[in-house]
Amino acid sequence: MVKSKTYRGYGKIFFGLTALVLAASAAYLLVDSKMYNPRLFEFALKLRIPTLLVMMIAAFAIGGASIVFQSIINNRIVTPCLLGMNSMYSLVHTAVVFFVGSGSVIAVNTNLSFAIDLVIMGITATFIYGYLFQKTNHNVLYVLLIGTVLSSFFGSIQSTLVRVMDPNEYDTLLVSLVADFNNVNSGIILFSLLLLAALVFFLRKDLALLDVITLGKDQAINLGVDYDRTVRRLLLGVVLCIAVATAMVGPVSFLGLIIANIARQMLKTYRHIWLIAGAALVGMAAIIAGQLIMEHVFSFAVPISTFITIGGGIYFLYLLLFKKGEC
Amino acid sequence: MNVCDLIKKYDGKTVVDTVSFTIPKGKVLSLIGPNGAGKSTVMGMISRLIAKDSGVIRFEGKDIGKWKSRELAKKLAILTQHNNVQMKLTVRELVAFGRFPYSGSRLTKEDEKMIDQAISYMELEDFQDRFIDELSGGQRQRAYIAMVIAQDTEYVLLDEPTNNLDIYHASNMMRTVRKLCDELGKTVILVLHEINYAAFYSDYICAFVDGKIAKFGTVEEVVTKENLSEIYKVDFEIIEINNKPLSVYY
Repeated sequence: MVKSKTYRGYGKIFFGLTALVLAASAAYLLVDSKMYNPRLFEFALKLRIPTLLVMMIAAFAIGGASIVFQSIINNRIVTPCLLGMNSMYSLVHTAVVFFVGSGSVIAVNTNLSFAIDLVIMGITATFIYGYLFQKTNHNVLYVLLIGTVLSSFFGSIQSTLVRVMDPNEYDTLLVSLVADFNNVNSGIILFSLLLLAALVFFLRKDLALLDVITLGKDQAINLGVDYDRTVRRLLLGVVLCIAVATAMVGPVSFLGLIIANIARQMLKTYRHIWLIAGAALVGMAAIIAGQLIMEHVFSFAVPISTFITIGGGIYFLYLLLFKKGEC
Repeated sequence: MNVCDLIKKYDGKTVVDTVSFTIPKGKVLSLIGPNGAGKSTVMGMISRLIAKDSGVIRFEGKDIGKWKSRELAKKLAILTQHNNVQMKLTVRELVAFGRFPYSGSRLTKEDEKMIDQAISYMELEDFQDRFIDELSGGQRQRAYIAMVIAQDTEYVLLDEPTNNLDIYHASNMMRTVRKLCDELGKTVILVLHEINYAAFYSDYICAFVDGKIAKFGTVEEVVTKENLSEIYKVDFEIIEINNKPLSVYY
């Protein structure tokens, strides 16, 4: 590893972040957990531990995907949201409720609905973006642009379906269209974890090339990187990561913009291993703290995505207005 | 390295038309010509940045497409004009990337030595811990050249290295190019707009017009009043300084 002054202080930052995540986790598990009564405490933990794990997995998937995506596009203010995965998720759910009804097994059984989300989103996204890549001669910006168009395309179909839908059905549907870290069962958690681990394993070589990819296409090729193949694989990895996170908790990838940028701002490095780890930790701290506030201050009245959107929006404006030079 | 019948078309328009030439080893070769003559495209194709439509590029007797990209990166380095890094990267870190084809991201002692040498060769010791985006244009260009030196390739391709540099930095850059060839024994191929830099600092010149080679030869052969007027469609006068033909145009 290159030794220079930029690397000093990493340890401290990571130590701080880890401590923050641990503190938030502990607070989340213990606040108002009725510790005096072992049975109530056990019950509280039984509910909270899976939620905590879900938040951590989602933070890792979203943070990692955002960092990778930004580095591929070479722009700090893009998020994988732009690929249209959120709208695709909404569309899939709306279509299921619309065509088979909210009472059907597919909509009620969370395992099944998770599997369907993942399969449909994974396959469609792999197919669409893989095809787009070939068609546009590996032009990442075109893919981004088409992703934005697809996003409104899916959004339009979804809103058309919603318009003709039975209002009661819509009411049930709405719950699944808002990000939610509760009510995810352990089977799904384990499966997501395995899937993400497999993804990281298969992409480990491509991830190692990310540092070089950020130098730009010409430099990457000059240094002997098979640019097109690497970027294609990484982009599919991003799409699958987001698919896992979205299928698990709903549309939250806007969060990626915030945590990826905070990580970049704190770490000021080009080493992606650090950046991804940093983004994941920042994400965990943010989501867990958000959930804590949501549960205990607002008593579940305000969905966590409200915080994410408000916080994300403000941070986005801050990036645009005050950080021009670095974007 | 030799190039045979190279063709490139964009949307049916031929930008490089049956170009063939051999790159003389251990010399400085400048590609000159008017805008849109195809010189940068040729450069892109011989460095595998741009896909060719047809033709053969042989590098050390082997078709360039058959080379492993990583192996080729140890033999041939290219520096293009557009190098905007979005990351917070110090000069030393940038130069260290030159060792990537050899060691990936795990640098060995030898790599560190090469990086040190490249940095001191370009006199960047005082800047090595500064961030790239905090440097001036001339310093940044030097940092990139240092990276190319760290890459330790026999062939160095530079696409308009004097672009956006003032006279002082541009002529320093050209002197560096000369040193790369004379001191380090590299074969340097440049795309240049300034004819006089090409005439003064290179050994051979290849002039392009409309995607074809108009003239190829030593500086003295190519830089003549008639040739240049024909290539650029502008009136030229040639004067001689230090035994080198310099052109005056207006």
